[in-house]
Amino acid sequence: MISLVLAESLTQALLVLVLITGAFIVTRKDLLSLVSTYQMQSLLLVGIALTLYSVDESPMLLSLAALTLISKVLVIPYIVKRIQKQINIPRDLEFHYISPIASIFITIFLILVVYGAFANILKDLSLSSLFYLGAVFGISLTLMGMLITFSRKKVITKIIGYLTMENGVLLFSLFITELPFIIEVLILVDLFMIVLLATILAIGMDSSIEAFQERFNQLHIEELQEKLHLHRKHGGAN
Amino acid sequence: MALGIYLGYAIAALAVTQLVRSNKSMNLVTLSHVLACIALAAYSQSIGPAHYFDKNFLIDGLSVYEISITGTIFFFAIIYAGGHAERLIDLGLMDKRNLKPYYLSLNCLLMFTVLSFASNNLALFWIFVELTTFFTAFLIAILNSKKNVDASLKYIFVTSTAMLFSFTGLILLFALSENATGKGTLNWDELLANAATFPPVFLTAAFAFTFIGFAAKSGVAPFHTPLPHAYSKAPSAVSTIVSAVMLNLGMTGILRIYAIIKQTSAATDASNLLIAFGVLSLFIATLSMLHQRNVKKLIAFSSTEHSGLMLIGMAVGTPIAIFWVLYHMLAHALIKAVLFLSTGIIQRQYNSNNAGKIINIFKMQPLAGTGLILGSAAILGMPPFILFLSKFSILTQVAAYSVPLLFVMLLFLLIAAAAFTNLLSEIFSHTENVKMEKYNAPRRMTMPIAILLVLIFILGIYLPNDLYAFLTKVVSDLKF
Repeated sequence: MISLVLAESLTQALLVLVLITGAFIVTRKDLLSLVSTYQMQSLLLVGIALTLYSVDESPMLLSLAALTLISKVLVIPYIVKRIQKQINIPRDLEFHYISPIASIFITIFLILVVYGAFANILKDLSLSSLFYLGAVFGISLTLMGMLITFSRKKVITKIIGYLTMENGVLLFSLFITELPFIIEVLILVDLFMIVLLATILAIGMDSSIEAFQERFNQLHIEELQEKLHLHRKHGGAN
Repeated sequence: MALGIYLGYAIAALAVTQLVRSNKSMNLVTLSHVLACIALAAYSQSIGPAHYFDKNFLIDGLSVYEISITGTIFFFAIIYAGGHAERLIDLGLMDKRNLKPYYLSLNCLLMFTVLSFASNNLALFWIFVELTTFFTAFLIAILNSKKNVDASLKYIFVTSTAMLFSFTGLILLFALSENATGKGTLNWDELLANAATFPPVFLTAAFAFTFIGFAAKSGVAPFHTPLPHAYSKAPSAVSTIVSAVMLNLGMTGILRIYAIIKQTSAATDASNLLIAFGVLSLFIATLSMLHQRNVKKLIAFSSTEHSGLMLIGMAVGTPIAIFWVLYHMLAHALIKAVLFLSTGIIQRQYNSNNAGKIINIFKMQPLAGTGLILGSAAILGMPPFILFLSKFSILTQVAAYSVPLLFVMLLFLLIAAAAFTNLLSEIFSHTENVKMEKYNAPRRMTMPIAILLVLIFILGIYLPNDLYAFLTKVVSDLKF
């Protein structure tokens, strides 16, 4: 059990870190570090849930932390990393519409807009400043995820964007209300299914396997031709 | 109990589809599943609104109506799919090994659509709608083409991303009910009953967020972008289901949330939001239709146009307008089935959907040609077809609501009519003296088109009293 003030400061620090991971994902090109950042972001969410639990002592928060740890820190990153290895593209260099610097500015703009807009909407809930901040950061993270999904070309990066969005929704729900646990489980089931299907389809789209095989075949044919040529020469000598 | 029996049957149908091998057997099992869905609707209609599984499910009038439309569309689409799948395999467009996953996904899609319509808990509704997205995406990607995979991925990302916003809206709704009544709920009937106690600004925000996801599901602009690709690449039976049933699924979601907000002073804001998206959909869809050369894409954009029309009808919000919006859902679904099933045969004949490649259509494919031309006339709202009644009545209601809005709508509807006329006149006047092998579509593919044509004609000149009374009751149950 930690003191209320400490819990509040800790939550604020964790929230800021979550937003930094969001900004990191928006700008990074290296696909493996994108997954690791997502993993880190999910771990921070676990931290937030546990800090809130230390004050609230609601078993629901503890279950949510455990669920997030297993699914988003361990299983989903593992699946995405495995698929990534199969696809074999280390970097996503294709920023579809906007450059990383522009993305950062858009992100800051989005946070400010959400902060302003939610002041009016959430006033009826009479939330404390910390919970208001959490809700605003949640929506901001969701929008950052959306930015990634629509501004990048590679499917794997889009998936990370979608996962970030879902983390934003989780953050938002943590600070707004306590949803029934079954709903949290259902949204995770949905996440698994969508990620799994998208990654499987991504093998077809992003894969460099085909290009690799093409090159390989070419090489192979050249080798064969060379051998044939030598063989003919050899035969001719006979 | 009835829903439980249906669910048991659906799972059994999935298991049997997994066990049997031939196309015919899998088709028959899926068809029996469709009949179970229609039986569920008929039984539920006879007993009246009923809750299932601890009030998480509710089959009320709206559910019965939507499940009936779903059953009807699936019925024709599955019969058609039997013949179509064989042709796709013969042409090498579909891998024979994909036949089982194809039927399994169709069964799952039907089951989750029925469960969505039967959900009282909005979180369950959300998850089932997401599952329909999953299986739709899978069905779009079932053909052996990278373009299909691309179309499928676009569909997943746009729809699922938008659906996450819907989930945020649901979290707000839950918080709202918790704040107002002391006990959080997402059960639609409870939210409707307590709607008057909800603070309007908060409710508007919840509505706006929820709207985004369901709008994407029903092809409302600007979330419609993946649909033209998805419709044109997917097998025609799948395009039919997506355009007719998935559109209704999204619209039902919007209607249910709108019914809640309609009980409060926030109704005007919600109504303005619907009009804005409705007009935007009409604008983008009709202008995109104008330069369209691909028949399937033209029909896809027409879905966005009709979503816009329905949104505006909903925004007007009078009981008569809602009545005709509901009737429009049925009309649109039946006509879209005629159009997509006809273009499916045309595509197999010419290996293309492009207007320039369709030659001597009446000679090569008389029934599909007739389906295309009558279906197009019907989708434009010409009498004596079913859509005339609903389109004309919605426009009459809009006229009473706002005359400038009516003129804007008429302008866009005129552009849509011009786009259809332009493309069709090119297709039907394109005759050349070329030798081409005729594709003899099996009766399983032609019969559904013929029956649907008769149906859209009959319902255009005769609105059954029972249907009228039933829909009036649905509208009053929604508290409009």
